[in-house]
Amino acid sequence: MSETLIATDDLSVHFPLRGGKLFGPPPVVRAVEGVSVHIEKGSFFGLVGESGSGKTTFGRALLRAAPITRGSATYSDGDVNYDLPSLKDNDLREYRKRAQLIFQDPYAALSPRMTVRDIIAEPLEVMGLTKTRDETDQRVREIAAKCRINLEHLRRFPHAFSGGQRQRISIARALVSEPRFIVADESVAALDVSIQADVLNLLKSIQLEMGLTFLFISHDLSVVAHICDHVAVMYLGRLVEKAPTRELFAGPRHPYTKALLSAIPSLDPDDHGNVQKLEGEIPSPTNPPPGCKFQTRCRFAIDICRKDEPKLSHLGFEHDVACHRWQELADEPEASLVDPA
Amino acid sequence: MTKPLISVKDLTIRFKTDEGLVTAVEKVSFDIAPGEVLGLVGESGSGKSVTAKALMLLNPDNAVYDPKSSITLNVDDRAIDVLSLGPKDRMIIRGGAVSMIFQEPMASFAPAISIGDQMVEQLLIHSDMTAARAKEISIEMLARVGIPDPAQRFGQYAFEFSGGMRQRAMIAMALSTKPKLLIADEPTTALDVTIQAQVIDLMKDLVSEFHMAILFITHDLGVIAQTVDRVAVMYLGNLVEKGSVRQVLRKPGHPYTRGLMDALPKLDELDKPLTAIKGDIPSPLDRPTGCVFNTRCPVTLGEECESRVPVYTSTEDGHQVACLLAEKEGAPA
Repeated sequence: MSETLIATDDLSVHFPLRGGKLFGPPPVVRAVEGVSVHIEKGSFFGLVGESGSGKTTFGRALLRAAPITRGSATYSDGDVNYDLPSLKDNDLREYRKRAQLIFQDPYAALSPRMTVRDIIAEPLEVMGLTKTRDETDQRVREIAAKCRINLEHLRRFPHAFSGGQRQRISIARALVSEPRFIVADESVAALDVSIQADVLNLLKSIQLEMGLTFLFISHDLSVVAHICDHVAVMYLGRLVEKAPTRELFAGPRHPYTKALLSAIPSLDPDDHGNVQKLEGEIPSPTNPPPGCKFQTRCRFAIDICRKDEPKLSHLGFEHDVACHRWQELADEPEASLVDPA
Repeated sequence: MTKPLISVKDLTIRFKTDEGLVTAVEKVSFDIAPGEVLGLVGESGSGKSVTAKALMLLNPDNAVYDPKSSITLNVDDRAIDVLSLGPKDRMIIRGGAVSMIFQEPMASFAPAISIGDQMVEQLLIHSDMTAARAKEISIEMLARVGIPDPAQRFGQYAFEFSGGMRQRAMIAMALSTKPKLLIADEPTTALDVTIQAQVIDLMKDLVSEFHMAILFITHDLGVIAQTVDRVAVMYLGNLVEKGSVRQVLRKPGHPYTRGLMDALPKLDELDKPLTAIKGDIPSPLDRPTGCVFNTRCPVTLGEECESRVPVYTSTEDGHQVACLLAEKEGAPA
């Protein structure tokens, strides 16, 4: 049995809104609602969903960059155990050395006024991890080499670099404090295809080499399928399905997961796929529908879906799905997913 | 053979910058027939947007068009030489015969003018209809692109629309003047996959309904496969391969096109490792000599590729590849 690095139970993040009634509680946006996951040590855990599904907020909550309203989240790497919602002061600073974030846009994430060396060295200096300048330089050079950054480039400024090179610099900065847990939020979304493959391969090799654990947030299912061991699908703040990657892609159970998969355009011009077009858009999280959050766009929704919110049920093989009708729908032939119209 | 709707020949565009003349597009030629969808594929810096903007003369003032370049637009039995249009005549190509939709619809609508007023404004400029009729047509178009409650939406502002709705409104606006050519610059890149599928369906329906041609710019080969008739692949300002969508995606002839296909994560080949194209895209300030792809090419012939610019090798059915290796072997492999 592999060890769990991050475990959440019923984790919720609510943001209060301004306005509302004079008396009574202020309205809240339930950005993340009751999400329970286990992220195994040394794994790539994928989190997918459309914009507004709460995947970024969930990632930030695990870094204590978004407030945890309810539920528990723990971190244990063998040396230390942290209860994330109650972390403060020294422990919080310690945790931040162990948990880092790689951003989406390598053009926005790097200060144009700092050299590459200073950008990578900044976390070491801020966290006080090195004592002398020589020691800092040594660490910077080591991590730069790992991230395949030309050491002569350390003296230059970010504007001289292409998107792929910048993303490698961002990765080096995130890794320089030797963290154990990395949240990669759409880290390859802004890159060109030919560069994206290179950065994905780099992340994978670094993960194996340094024994890192990744929460890999992406809207691109094909990328997630390639790099992740486990995948969780979010919709409107809820976890709707999670499973080991192969299990999920071979047998998706939730109608939303099925729709997401079938919306990926095929590379074959004559294969229009088993197209199951989703109508409409993701509802606003300030005013979510009652019952199952997906019922407004689900073609299989029946009365119970409009009243009761489904709980995650276990299918076995670590595969969980939150749908009232997954059992009936599993028996339906695939052809029934095609709109008869 | 019918006349192409638009014919681009030897288009070369350079930009005057502090660091000298930078070549963004070099000797690019293609035709688009009426009602045809041409996909222009390439990564950032490949010059695909600059090429598209040239068709509407939207490039900034520091753009220099090479005197040998020509863009001919054939509408209503007239051949319009786009590059020589004076400021007054540009109305024909801007929103009249040619319309454009952009990647980021939030940035393309004026934030302080209602969507409806923006739609009416362009109809009034491009036709002699009354304001009331223009409003009617605008609301019809909003309904046609699937915006619920169009009469009420007409008076709303861009920030009140979701991403998908904004892109639909953008399409409605671009199509309301009934252009002959629609330029779509990464129209689905900013959208979620489920919304992307809806917008692609909508665009396909509209192509057949309005019988217009589309220049579809994207870096997503999956979107290309599902949308276009013919494909042109650009790399660093050069057109390296063109052909029908089936030819190019099934038998990519240029090493760059093959590299793009291999770098793409595919759901049915999870065990295959991703093959990246080695190196980074060179800076346009520092274009390689000879074949522009030679610095990253896995099958480069070395010196020969560094010194000689490849010419197009074509098979009888119109599949063209600019590669010295293909020149030697006679046809795209």
